[in-house]
Amino acid sequence: MSVGTTEHPRTRAARWRTIQPWAGTVARLGLAAVWLIAGAAKATDLAGAGRAVNAYRLMPYDVARVVGAALPFVELALGVLLLIGLATRVAAAVSAGLLVVFVAGISSAWARGLAIDCGCFGSGGQLAAGQSPSYGPEIARDLGFLALSAFLIVYPLTRMSVDSAVERV
Amino acid sequence: MSNRVQQKQAKRVVREQLAREARRRRAMWTTAIAVAVLLIAGLIGWGVYASQSSSAYKTPAHASADGTGLVVGSGPVTVDIYLDFMCPHCKEFETAAGPTLDQLVADKKVSLVYHPVAFLDPASTNQYSTRSSASAACAADGGRVAPYIQALYARQPAEGGPGLSDDELIQVGGSVGLVDPAFAKCVRDGDYRTWTQHVTDAASERGVTGTPTVYVGGTQTEPTAAAITAAVAAAK
Repeated sequence: MSVGTTEHPRTRAARWRTIQPWAGTVARLGLAAVWLIAGAAKATDLAGAGRAVNAYRLMPYDVARVVGAALPFVELALGVLLLIGLATRVAAAVSAGLLVVFVAGISSAWARGLAIDCGCFGSGGQLAAGQSPSYGPEIARDLGFLALSAFLIVYPLTRMSVDSAVERV
Repeated sequence: MSNRVQQKQAKRVVREQLAREARRRRAMWTTAIAVAVLLIAGLIGWGVYASQSSSAYKTPAHASADGTGLVVGSGPVTVDIYLDFMCPHCKEFETAAGPTLDQLVADKKVSLVYHPVAFLDPASTNQYSTRSSASAACAADGGRVAPYIQALYARQPAEGGPGLSDDELIQVGGSVGLVDPAFAKCVRDGDYRTWTQHVTDAASERGVTGTPTVYVGGTQTEPTAAAITAAVAAAK
């Protein structure tokens, strides 16, 4: 038990204690929105989602199809878990794991000079007419989401969540 | 320290231990629930996809040996063309390279194999890619592949809106001599929709991620008249 020697660090710590659970709520809902939008966009075209995975040329087509079909629903489930704030740390850890895989996949597509759309929000991995790949922004965006996940892994208890309600039981 | 204080301290330690234990149990349960939810979600996706995709399909007339394309011409060099009737670049390609391709076919130098894939179904409100591709197979049964493909491009709908309706597809067929009621029935019943799925899967498996994609004698080639002519000459 250490007590702050000056006024300043103590008030700052107190302020952080108030802000942190709400900041966590914002991060949690933000990440939930990302997964729900990404999952919903792909769930309506599962064959396209399979093609998008296959476009990375990282696994046999049959495996890519299974991954492509399963992924949108896993994303939706992650979105729901984060939305209600149930098992936030687990959901955030799985999110971070997926995002690392996505960043690795996009980087490898970039490195191999493939011309594909990341398929992150649907589209079947095909670039629209006259569009060139935008790997840099896609990776930057995923790293931003990764930062949200990291925050939630460190501070999983957030306001307006099932986790915090259960904690008080 | 008095005995009483010691007792109090011991009680507190036990209480804290119990609370920690309870928290651990709760964390374990929520984790188990979350993992189960994620696994079940993945299985649902797989199940939905498996129920949507069908492996049985009917192969149209004039199909290539592997059943993934419609053949025009009988020359020795195979030119594979992967196209989507919804794709503007495919129309541009057909307009620019069409006369050259027709000449190569007329000279009996090449066999064109059209693979009408359905990559762009989300780009129309009524799955135009799938329906137009299936209707091209109906046109193959009627022996009018090449003129029907050209007529479809001439009527290419804008991206984002509804594609041509079945009635309009039948009309397009009529304009190139497909007046047999069998063609109309084939389009309306969507006889070749599962074939289109097969064509699209085969294209993905080959590594085709965009349209138009052209292979001459099995080697990917720029989709331009000049590149195709050069590749055909080299393939002999």
